[in-house]
Amino acid sequence: MRVDAIFYASERILSDLAAEDYASLKQLENVATLPGIVGPALAMPDVHWGYGFPIGGVAAFEAGGEGVVSPGGVGFDINCGVRLLVSDLEREDLVPRARELADALFAAVPSGVGRGRRDLGLGRRELSAILHEGPRALVDRGYTDPADLENVESRGMLPGADPEAVSERAYKRGASQLGTLGSGNHFLEVQYVDEVYDREAAPAFGLQEGRVTVLIHSGSRGLGHQVCQDYVERFLDVAPKYGIELVDRQLAAAPIDSPEGRSYLGAMAAAANFAFANRQLITHHVRRAFERTGFGGSLRVLYDLAHNNAKFEEHGGRRVLVHRKGATRAFGPGNPELPERYRSYGQPVLVPGDMGRYSFVLAGTEGAMRETFGSSAHGAGRRMSRRRAKKAARGRDLIGELGRRGILVRAAGRATVDEEMSEAYKDAAEVVEVTDAAGIGKKVARLRPMIVVKG
Amino acid sequence: MIRILDHTADVGFEAAAESPEGLFLEAMRGVLLLMFERPPQGGGCLRTVELEGPNLEVLLVRWLSELLYLVQEEGFVPADGSLRLDMEDCSLRARLRGSALDVEEQGWIGEIKSVTFHGLEVVREGGLWRCRVILDV
Repeated sequence: MRVDAIFYASERILSDLAAEDYASLKQLENVATLPGIVGPALAMPDVHWGYGFPIGGVAAFEAGGEGVVSPGGVGFDINCGVRLLVSDLEREDLVPRARELADALFAAVPSGVGRGRRDLGLGRRELSAILHEGPRALVDRGYTDPADLENVESRGMLPGADPEAVSERAYKRGASQLGTLGSGNHFLEVQYVDEVYDREAAPAFGLQEGRVTVLIHSGSRGLGHQVCQDYVERFLDVAPKYGIELVDRQLAAAPIDSPEGRSYLGAMAAAANFAFANRQLITHHVRRAFERTGFGGSLRVLYDLAHNNAKFEEHGGRRVLVHRKGATRAFGPGNPELPERYRSYGQPVLVPGDMGRYSFVLAGTEGAMRETFGSSAHGAGRRMSRRRAKKAARGRDLIGELGRRGILVRAAGRATVDEEMSEAYKDAAEVVEVTDAAGIGKKVARLRPMIVVKG
Repeated sequence: MIRILDHTADVGFEAAAESPEGLFLEAMRGVLLLMFERPPQGGGCLRTVELEGPNLEVLLVRWLSELLYLVQEEGFVPADGSLRLDMEDCSLRARLRGSALDVEEQGWIGEIKSVTFHGLEVVREGGLWRCRVILDV
């Protein structure tokens, strides 16, 4: 190890880590061996076993010199993230027509395999513009309100995107998937605010008890997956040329300042812009579904943030490339990157939980800026394998159980619902308590699900 | 011979066969078992796949990635097939028979994003060829 490895946990989280034989912490140790790392290698409280980097991992590398970039440190679903919309509606307004809305949302946003979006008719040039500019390229088509972009991380456009560095196969995979949810842990949730913790930040974020919100979790779909696959293979080839020794091949890396490193960063930024555009297009169709159900009015973007990317940032007076894999940027108050309306409170940090319990909104802190390169947790984190979850769900009617608790589920298949059952996840409240207690995020509000759409 | 592995966030399997060709076909069945509750047993659709790689492990990743592409992007689900593997230039040619994707009929489980190199192994031991693969879901 070249630097220390630090993780944030409670007793209960530690016991979950023990149950997986500390595999995620061993992965964190592996990250700490990479060249040019500016320590420490970090794991957020939702850390769990991934491949290469642990999920919940954060690592910063010198922007020049020995610093490396690792596609495995970003993940296959480049710029996967969440977007929270806040409505003018109260929970009571929505309840009488919740079933109708659930059906409208499920019909409006394709999810699951083979359900692409054929209505866009994107040619290669249009797709290339989206890779270059993100959702901004959809303004003329009426899918993006420029005001939305004010509340998107990096305003929905990572600089340096190079559409030419993206393979033809990635283009092909992306063309029909823009505006689709995907499956697995991706979801679309209608929720309401059930508790407010911070009476100053919550109103500034537009959150008050009973207010209806919509959380969208999706990423760069097949396009991003293909970019990662292409570059992991390429970096495995070139790592020896640069004297990079790998303890895990999924950590394949190349110097940031090398032709391969620059090419990956250009392709990664392009995939990130695709992911921002994907969430924007889903937003458009969510708004139309609300309108069709008779709920006019606004669905304002509260914030859109990414879980899986690598970004150049200034920390401690030096420029570094921060990899966040299953972690959230959580810039503290005063940061010029933040929209004016949030600047005094810190960046909104969205921590989705599981479909049966709750999600949280936090605010970024000074503590995160000092200790975690401005990063925080990204979700509840799994504690049960998909196979174990399916076994545990056998004989149960999870959709019925959730329905009796007032949560309507619309899913492309039953298998995903079983795998995503609440018990398969850590309690998001535990993750948030650790985050808050460690000072790397500040609790603002809690959201409860009403409608869940799964792939 | 396939054994599904427990992994907290992802999915994986181990496969074994008497020949490298058999191993690649077993690995195909491993992936199908993770994607479908009832993988198709036959079908009238045919596909040919030709691939090469710098070594057997990369070739296995490319093979399984190609299968994910065929299923998830082209809607072709292989059931069985024949495969010829040239160990000298590390290339393969497979002829696959299968069915069109039918989410209901085949019991679609969920999307697999990619094949990882994490813990990837292709070894020959005790007269058997074995592999271990983790997939990102």
